[in-house]
Amino acid sequence: MDTHLMLGNEAVARGAWAAGVQVAAAYPGTPSTEIVTNLATYDGVYAEWSTNEKVAYEVAFGAAMGGVRALTAMKSAGASVAADPLISSVYTGINGGLVVCLAGDPGMSSGMTEQDDRYFGRISSMPMLEPADSQECHDYTRLAFELSEEFDVPVMVRLSIQTAHQKSMVRFAEPDGGGRTAPVRRPPDRKTEKYCLLPRYSRPLHRSLLERFERLRAYSESSELARVEPGTGAFARIGVVSAGAAAISAKEALPEASFLKLGMIHPLPVEAVRRFAASVDRLFVVEELEPFLEEQLLAAGIACEGKEWFPKWGELTPVRVGRGFFAAGLDLPRWAEEKAAEDLSVIPRPPVLCTGCPHRGMATAMKKLDLDVHGDIGCYDLTTLPPVSHMHSAVEMGASIPMEQGFTRAGGSEKGSIAVIGDSTFLHSGLTGLLNAVHQRTNVTVLIQDNSITAMTGGQTNPGNVKTLAGVETRPVDIAAICRALGVEHIETVDPYDYEVCLASLRAGLAFDGPAVIITDRPCMLFPQKVTGDSHYVVDPDVCNACQQCMKLGCPSLHHVEATHKGRHKVEIDGETCTGCSLCAQLCKVGAITKAGGA
Amino acid sequence: MNTTHYADGVVDDIMVVGVGGQGVIVAAAIIADTALLHGDLEVKLSETRGMSQRGGSVSSHIRIGTTVVAPSISPGEVDYLLAFEQAEGLRLVPSVVDDGIAIVNTQKIVPPLASQGEFQYPLDAVARMDDGRVRVTAVDGNAIALDVGDLKVAGVVLVGALSTHLPFDVATWQEAIVRNVPPKWKELNFAAFAAGREVGGL
Repeated sequence: MDTHLMLGNEAVARGAWAAGVQVAAAYPGTPSTEIVTNLATYDGVYAEWSTNEKVAYEVAFGAAMGGVRALTAMKSAGASVAADPLISSVYTGINGGLVVCLAGDPGMSSGMTEQDDRYFGRISSMPMLEPADSQECHDYTRLAFELSEEFDVPVMVRLSIQTAHQKSMVRFAEPDGGGRTAPVRRPPDRKTEKYCLLPRYSRPLHRSLLERFERLRAYSESSELARVEPGTGAFARIGVVSAGAAAISAKEALPEASFLKLGMIHPLPVEAVRRFAASVDRLFVVEELEPFLEEQLLAAGIACEGKEWFPKWGELTPVRVGRGFFAAGLDLPRWAEEKAAEDLSVIPRPPVLCTGCPHRGMATAMKKLDLDVHGDIGCYDLTTLPPVSHMHSAVEMGASIPMEQGFTRAGGSEKGSIAVIGDSTFLHSGLTGLLNAVHQRTNVTVLIQDNSITAMTGGQTNPGNVKTLAGVETRPVDIAAICRALGVEHIETVDPYDYEVCLASLRAGLAFDGPAVIITDRPCMLFPQKVTGDSHYVVDPDVCNACQQCMKLGCPSLHHVEATHKGRHKVEIDGETCTGCSLCAQLCKVGAITKAGGA
Repeated sequence: MNTTHYADGVVDDIMVVGVGGQGVIVAAAIIADTALLHGDLEVKLSETRGMSQRGGSVSSHIRIGTTVVAPSISPGEVDYLLAFEQAEGLRLVPSVVDDGIAIVNTQKIVPPLASQGEFQYPLDAVARMDDGRVRVTAVDGNAIALDVGDLKVAGVVLVGALSTHLPFDVATWQEAIVRNVPPKWKELNFAAFAAGREVGGL
């Protein structure tokens, strides 16, 4: 036996590799990203960062139709983007196995919403497996490919962030390096009646989908994926039905209870639960977010308790489950009192834009012009926080430009309004919004902050890069040329390290009669490699009058010192981390900030 | 101490905290790998989610025992707190068990928010942590690392300080370090680890 400590997502990738997966496609999204990052490291797997989740899904779907095992992975919001093929592919079924990894984010560690992804299984009738630790991430992913081909249906491996981002031990049945099911290619499908969802074909396909779901239900009822773990002592007659991360939390909170640990959560093995319920006095359903399992059990006439004790929001950590059991009247001293996890009065330390971040200049300029700013999804969202605090919407991928268009149609605002979007998000779902604004002849202003990487999720490639995830040299897309082709007449590419240029370009874009696009062209400081800069700036403490202009930038390399002027602290620059972007020197009204060495 | 330490179902709950970019994740990996290499133990680990590389608070939970269920440590149950930055130590010290161990690096990293006047950075964080409830050891990890040869190994100095409290031998720690640092930095990291053991507080 070979034991490894693996991240849940790493184990999913290893399981897919072991199953002989040949094609993997995804758009990066926390907490799903590491699945495809890891798959890209295996020989014999083609892996790509696609332009968005819908495209990724369709690439994987096409590969499965073409006869190989394929995988796609996404975060919650990504499933909404990919919902169309996700639902349709259950109608068509597959050829090579297709596995859909969907990683949810209860607690919103980085997601914009905490949505219960399990409803995608219900809306589509796609079967869902839910692993609880890295061993199950590996084993269930491998099994999902088998089930996919056995039942001619895509299979979802549903993860919570608690599962995706924990590390636990994985034991392979065979020595490392072995154990990969030999990848095969089935003859590619050429079946009009299976893959063309015209009504004449999709009506019978829906009926066969429903029939297939009943066969899956029979599998779920008889499968060993629903595992009874008998309890001990005083709590043996307390029953817990749970799956995934919630099951781990429940086990930590009340290890002596009897458990029915589910592996397949859709179709739900209701009769297995009914048998288990008969063996206990009280039955608790422990699940994150919505009462997805609980409502199905209640509808089947199985008495159970759930959401009255366990919150519908946030991660279900052991303490939150334990507190729920305690509130339900169980005598559990460990959970009797609420304990502080941390001292919240100590200074908050949220993530900030890096020193030298190319987003900082424009953010400060937009704040200066007091614009209504419609943001998108990317690192620039960090400027919603103090001290810059200039962004007024940041909702979902691609929202910025259409929302700016609607806002403008509503009459706009006195000082002007602008859409802010990054390169990767623009290529993900910004183009269609810009095309619409141009077509509708709406006077929008759009700032595309092109830092040449998908930064927020950790530096993944996108079509603006010279290489793909697979390491193949490719032609980087020309964003200005795209905008020209879409019909934008005012396009200006500027250096975001030049504050006056930032202000001037914004004013010109706002004044232009017609859709206007401003593009910034400085690369990310962190990815693909950390930029340290070849020079740094220093503050002359005798000249600094503590006016605080530079501190408006929110740069992590600027600090207050003890010395004051008129009651305000003077500033110093950390020469170790300063990258020499010079924005602070440009904002300084008294010339106190100069390049080190006087150059 | 020896491995009978874990015989009665004891689980060691170790939390490593700091600021993004300080090396918290690598330190946690070294600790977890040491327990894994020791053998016959279950190890689980859980990390801060989100944008840890952008100067935010970072924490990593490591749980070691013969059987471990949850990968995260529950509030108030931290046995060993290893803080890479003093304000982060002060933030998490309420979660340490009575008479638990807290090893805190005296480094101060003032977040940009402190410069807005709304918040005051706690310059007296180490003194405030050391209120008699928890056994606090302050370590100037950065100075020791510079002495050893490079600021980059400050994290391994702190791991060395923690190692004196855990039942694993030096050879196992060194094997775990080798797994987690570039080969050319091996000797420097061994030296940092050894220097950390000198100030571990045992």
